[in-house]
Amino acid sequence: MTVSKLFIAAAAMSFTATTFAAGSHSGGHGGDIGEPGHADDVSRTIQVEMHDNYYEPEAIEVARGETVRFVIENKGRLVHEFNIGTPDMHEAHRDEMKMMVEHGVIQGGKLNEDMMDMGNGHTMKHDDPNSVLLEPGQKKEIIWTFSTKTNMEFACNIPGHYQSGMYGDVNFDSAADTQARAD
Amino acid sequence: MRTLTLSAVALALTLPSLPALGSDMPQDNSGRKDALTLWGVQFEELEYRYSDDDEELGVWNGDAFYGTDELKFRWQSKGEYAIEEEAYEKLENQLLLQTPISDFFDAKAGVRFDTPEGPDRTYGVLGLSGLAPHWFEVDASLYVSDEGDTSAEFDAEYELLFTNHLILSAALDATIAFTEDREIGVGKGLVSTETGLRLSYDLFHRSFSPYLGVVHERKYGDTADFAEAEGGGTEDWFAVVGARVSF
Amino acid sequence: MKTALMAGALALLMPAMAAAGEYDLTVDRVMIDTGDFVKEGIGYNGASPGPVLRFKEGESVKINVTNNLDEPTSIHWHGLILPFEQDGVPGISFDGIPAGETFTYEFPIVQSGTYWFHSHSGFQEPNGAYGAIVIEPEGREPFRYDREYVVQLTDKHPHDANRVMRNLKMMPDYYNRQQQTVGDFFADISKHGFMTALQDRLAWGDMRMMKADVEDVQGFTGLINGKGPEQNWTGLFEPGERIRLRFINSSAMAYFDIRIPGLEMTVVQADGNNVQPVTVDEFRIGVAETYDVIVRPKTAEAYTIFAESMGRSGYARATLAPEEGMEGPIPELREAPLLTMADMGGMHGMDHGDMAADDASAGMDHGDMSQGAMDPDGMNHDSDMAASAGTSMAGMDHSGMDHGAMIMTEGGASDPFYADGSGLVPVAANGGKFLSYADLRAQKPLYEEREPTREIELRLTGNMERYSWSIDGVKYEDAEPLKLQYGERVRFKFVNETMMTHPMHLHGMWSILDVGAGEWNPVKHTVSVQPGTTVYMETEVDAPGQWAFHCHLSYHAASGMFRKVVVEGGPDQGNTAGVDVAKDGGDA
Repeated sequence: MTVSKLFIAAAAMSFTATTFAAGSHSGGHGGDIGEPGHADDVSRTIQVEMHDNYYEPEAIEVARGETVRFVIENKGRLVHEFNIGTPDMHEAHRDEMKMMVEHGVIQGGKLNEDMMDMGNGHTMKHDDPNSVLLEPGQKKEIIWTFSTKTNMEFACNIPGHYQSGMYGDVNFDSAADTQARAD
Repeated sequence: MRTLTLSAVALALTLPSLPALGSDMPQDNSGRKDALTLWGVQFEELEYRYSDDDEELGVWNGDAFYGTDELKFRWQSKGEYAIEEEAYEKLENQLLLQTPISDFFDAKAGVRFDTPEGPDRTYGVLGLSGLAPHWFEVDASLYVSDEGDTSAEFDAEYELLFTNHLILSAALDATIAFTEDREIGVGKGLVSTETGLRLSYDLFHRSFSPYLGVVHERKYGDTADFAEAEGGGTEDWFAVVGARVSF
Repeated sequence: MKTALMAGALALLMPAMAAAGEYDLTVDRVMIDTGDFVKEGIGYNGASPGPVLRFKEGESVKINVTNNLDEPTSIHWHGLILPFEQDGVPGISFDGIPAGETFTYEFPIVQSGTYWFHSHSGFQEPNGAYGAIVIEPEGREPFRYDREYVVQLTDKHPHDANRVMRNLKMMPDYYNRQQQTVGDFFADISKHGFMTALQDRLAWGDMRMMKADVEDVQGFTGLINGKGPEQNWTGLFEPGERIRLRFINSSAMAYFDIRIPGLEMTVVQADGNNVQPVTVDEFRIGVAETYDVIVRPKTAEAYTIFAESMGRSGYARATLAPEEGMEGPIPELREAPLLTMADMGGMHGMDHGDMAADDASAGMDHGDMSQGAMDPDGMNHDSDMAASAGTSMAGMDHSGMDHGAMIMTEGGASDPFYADGSGLVPVAANGGKFLSYADLRAQKPLYEEREPTREIELRLTGNMERYSWSIDGVKYEDAEPLKLQYGERVRFKFVNETMMTHPMHLHGMWSILDVGAGEWNPVKHTVSVQPGTTVYMETEVDAPGQWAFHCHLSYHAASGMFRKVVVEGGPDQGNTAGVDVAKDGGDA
C-alpha cells in the first residue's frame, strides 16, 4: 500500500508536465496544440456528447486561431475523458489514465475524487486545461484556442476507450486556414 | 459407435416422463441419450519367440470387447503355438462379462476354455482388473475347473516411457494352484511365472507398436517335477520380436 | 427487463412487419484439406467451415437446411436467443433433419454480435459441420473499425471423430504424447533433488493422475477459417486502419492462446456481448467461446495471428498483411504446461495423504474473489463486491498441502479463475497483459440486477481412466432433466472436481458470469471452469421450453457431461402456440 501510494504520488507530480511535454517534443515549440482560451474570444460553441464508448460528433471543424467553447456532457454510464491533443500526446497520457484505473481513481462509472488526494500535498487531479474527466451525467466546459494547425484529435484515454474508437478528428477548415495565412 | 447401439428400445422405456410439459415436447430418443456402446481389439503380445534351446513359438495375448461403461463383453485369448511341432502348447480362451466396481477396477466373470496338448479343461472365472496406484495395470483371476480344481492367476504390467513413443513394458504373470491337477501337469502351490521385458516403439499412433524383448518362463515345485518327469524343461529364456496391436 | 428480449417479443407479435432474410444451407460431405492431411468430413454449402451467415438485428430469418447426408443432421445456432424449437438439438428442440430432407428454421434475430452455428448430431461438428454468424446491430456499435474479419478456429484431427471417441474410451491417453518420461524424471532430479522428484512422482502415481493431462486429443492441425498453418489464411489491411477480428473457437477439444506479435488487441466483445474494452497482449479462447478484438497495425508489415493450443500440442496460424503472400515470423511453441496439485484441489475421495484437497476447494471461492484479486491494493471497486473478497484470498490456507514435496510451477502467475498455484495459468508471451475472465465487464448491463431466487450447485465430475464425464457423478443417459421455473434467476455454482477444463454451455438463456462486478458482470453463452475451481454464473430464466446444457468439449459431452434443462411455466407452457404464430406469420 505504501509503495503504491508513493507511486501514485510520483505519477501525480509528473502528471501535468507530461501531458504538455509530449506535445512539445513532437512539435519542437510550445504552442503546438494551441492554448486555453478566454471566454471573451469565444466565437462558437461546440456541443460534444460522450457515450459508451464514443463521441457525438466524431469530428469537428475548426479554423486556425479560432477560440471554441466545448460543452461536454457525459451521457454514458461510464467515466469518460475529453482531451485535446496530438496522437502522441494521447499515447503518453494513456499510461497515466491506466494508472488511475489501476489505483481505483476511475472505477467504471465512478470517479473517486477522494482518492485523487494523496493526503501529502500531492494530488492525482486531472485538471489540465486541455481535458475534462466526467462521471456519467456530468457536464463541463473547455475553452480552447486553436492557434496552430497540427494533427489533432480529441480522445478518451481511459484504458481501452481510445483503442476501441473513442476519439474524434479535429479538422482545420482549409478555407479559413488560407485566409489566416494571407493575413 | 452409435450405429452399433442396440439398446435404444430398452432405454426409451426408462426415459423420465415430463408431467409438467405438453406431450408435444420432444423426448430425447437420440443416440446421445443412450450409453456409448463401443468395441475394441487389442493384442498386448503378438510375437515370435526363440528359446535358449532353439524352440520357436508363435505367441499371442489379446482381447476384444463390446459394450458400455457399465457392462462389457470381453473375449480374452492367449495362445502359444510351437512352430516346428505345428501344435499348440497352450490355447486359452475366456468369455467374460465385465462391470466397474470402483473408479479404477472392474469385476469380471465368465468361463475359460483351455484346449492344450493334454485333456481339455473348462473353468469358471471370477476376476478383477484395473489400474493400481502408481500405474500398475493388474489383473487377478480365480478359476474353478470342471474337475473341481481351483487356481489363481495374477498379472501385472508396468510401462516406463523413455520417450512418448519408445516404451519399455515389464510384465509379470504368476499362476498358483490350490489343488493339484496331475493330468495337465499342475502341482499344488506356485505353478509358474512368466516375466517379460519388451521395448516397443509406437510406429502408427497406438495401433501398431513393434517391439523386441526377452521373456523368462519358469515352473516351480511339483509342477516343475511333473515337467521334468515327462522330460520337459522347467525354465526357458526367450528372445521375442513382435508388435502390440490395437484397432 | 431486457430490451433485446422485448424486441424479440415484439417481433413475435408483429412478425409480418419484420424484414425477413431467407438463407439456404446444404449439409454436404466435403473434403477438408488442412495442408497436413486431407480428410473427408461434413460441411455446409460444399465447404468446411460453412459460409459466414450475416444477419441484422431486428429481422426475422428463414433458413432452409437441406440434408444431403445419408444420416440425420441438425444445426444449432450457438449463442442465439430464439424459441426452443428452433435451437436445433435433436431430441430436445426437435426431431432432427432426416437424410435427404429440408428443414426450415424461422426465428427473429433479437441480438447482435459474433456467434457461430454447428451440427448438434453425433460427431458431425468435429468432423467439420460448423460456420460463423455475424449479426449487425440495429444501432451503432460502441466502438469503431474500418474493416472486419471472422477468424474461426478449429482443431482438425486426422481421425474421424467416432474413432477418436472409441480410442479415448479404449485408452484415455491414446492421443497424449506429452506424458512424463524417464528423461523428465532425471531432469526433475537434477532440478529439485532426488527425494522431491521421487515424492512428486509417487504423489501423482498414487492418484493415478497425470500432470501432463492437459490436452486429451493431440495430433490435430489448427485451422483458421479452414486453412492450416502452411496454407496461411491472410486478412488484408491498410496501415493505420482499425481491424475488428471476430475470433470464434469451433474446436472439438482445443483451447487456444492467441496473440499477434507486434500488435496489442483491444477486446470489445465476448460471446457476442459487448464488453468494456480491455487492451491485452494475449488471450485464451475456450472451446465455443467468441472474442472480438480491435487491432490497429500502423506499419505496412505482415503480422502473424498465432494461436497455440493450451497444451501446446498444436497451433493455428494466420496473417494480417498489407498484401497477399506476405508472412510474419512464426513463433516457436512454448513449453507444455503441467498440472499441479492445486489443479487437483477439487477432486474428492482422492487418497493422497497430506493433501487436504477438500479443505482447499472449500476455502477457494473463485467466483467471489475475482475482484479482490484484480485489485492489488484491495481497494473496493464496487459496492456489490463482497468486502472480504480481497482478504479471503490472502487468508486462503494452503498449509495443508505439502508443497515442499511437490514440484510446483514457477513464475507465480495468478488468475482468480484458476486454482491458486495452478499449472494452467496463462502468461503472455511478451510478458504483457493476458486477458482474464476477471477483466471482463459488460459494456451495458443486459438485465437489471437482482438477487438470484436460488442456487443450483453442479459438480463437474469424471473419471479420466474410464474417459467418462458427468455432472454430479451422473451421465446424461442416467440423468433426470434439470428443472427451472420461468421467471426465476438461478445462480449456478460450478464446482470442477476434475483435472480438465470444461467450457459449460447453456442453450437458450444467457450465462451471466460472476466476476464480482455486480450488474457489470459479463454476459456469456459459454463459461470455462478450470480444474480445482468454483465458478458462479447467473441465468435469468426467460426462455420457456427445453434446452441443452453441456460441456462443449465434443468427447466430454458425448460421454455424459450433458443435461437437458426444462423451463417450466411461462407464456408458452404446455403448448407452443406463441411460436407457431411466429412461424405462420413468417410465412404470410
